[in-house]
Amino acid sequence: MNTTDKQERFLTVLQAHKGIIYKIANAYCQEAENRKDLIQEITVQLWKSFDHYDSRYRYSTWIYRIALNTAISFFRKERRRRHAAELPPEDILEWADTDDHRETDDRLRQLQLFIAELKEMDKALLLLYLEEKSQREIAEITGLSETNVSTRISRIKGILKQKFSTIKN
Amino acid sequence: MESADILALWKSYSLQLDTSLALNRKNAADITRLKVQSLLAVMKPVKIFTLIAGILWVAFLDMLIISLFQAASPFFLVSAIIQVLLTKLAIGVYVYQLVLIHQADLSEPVFETQRKLAALRTSTLWVTRLLFLQLPVWTTFYLNTTMLTRGPLLLVIIQVLVTLLFTAAAVWLFVNIRYENRNKRWFRLLFAGKEWAPVIKSMELLSQIEEERD
Repeated sequence: MNTTDKQERFLTVLQAHKGIIYKIANAYCQEAENRKDLIQEITVQLWKSFDHYDSRYRYSTWIYRIALNTAISFFRKERRRRHAAELPPEDILEWADTDDHRETDDRLRQLQLFIAELKEMDKALLLLYLEEKSQREIAEITGLSETNVSTRISRIKGILKQKFSTIKN
Repeated sequence: MESADILALWKSYSLQLDTSLALNRKNAADITRLKVQSLLAVMKPVKIFTLIAGILWVAFLDMLIISLFQAASPFFLVSAIIQVLLTKLAIGVYVYQLVLIHQADLSEPVFETQRKLAALRTSTLWVTRLLFLQLPVWTTFYLNTTMLTRGPLLLVIIQVLVTLLFTAAAVWLFVNIRYENRNKRWFRLLFAGKEWAPVIKSMELLSQIEEERD
């Protein structure tokens, strides 16, 4: 496959999974500038790994792994220095319309606040649960056993439920 | 809110993102033209400087030991040899960790990759432990037999006390600078600078990952 084909295929994969990248970046970086940097860093890491993509897994599994690994070990200052000379701070993901992207639903805002408060690893598990990944898929992405995934997610769901009930009261 | 409501809420958010979010193909394509960077290119200049300074320092000490081997006091030789060996070991450990972190495969399962990365970053503490272990030789390299046998008793006593104190501090720090003590106040003070932030964050991650195993 020549470089142009490879680039085209990469952009198609990116386009198809842009939501995953945004949701992970948004969960790990609340500040817009940080989030933009993280999205750029995730894209860099995806491209670096693209040649080694293992076709036994779905593209989404590969993207979840890289995006979560990048987000968890993201140190913004280090990254800025690393790519600043080569990459201008441009947006990889943009809002198609400017009016409709704000999360107007209070419950969604609240849910995102809860996610932001979670520890890094719990955050990863909750995101995968919210994405309705099966326990087998979550185990594949995280490397935990299915039993462990189930236990951890039940615990996180409990915390979430408790938090929502506190608000109600 | 029940689990089903939360999942429905997330689904509507995902749908909203699918329609409102657009990939900027030009900016994304720019990334595909990035060259693969070497480890040296991604290192902070201050780290490169420290590493070069360390290598120059051990090279200088090596030359000094070789050229003064016949003439220098045994105190100087032993102190310099211990110092140079520990510094070489610390540099080796540091470079080895940097290479492993740089080569980490982020497409591997998240918990295992994070455990490896966090363990590597945390083991940077080994470098500090080795460097602290050198403390006593900084109190002995200038000594000679005449100073100890013919010098004033008070000075000899002070010298011995200082060396013992430095040895005790070095051994204590070597034994106690470890992950398990990360929440102790002295540890937090010692590693308070922002350059230690990734190591401290990695320790917190490690503790989260270990919870999974419990």
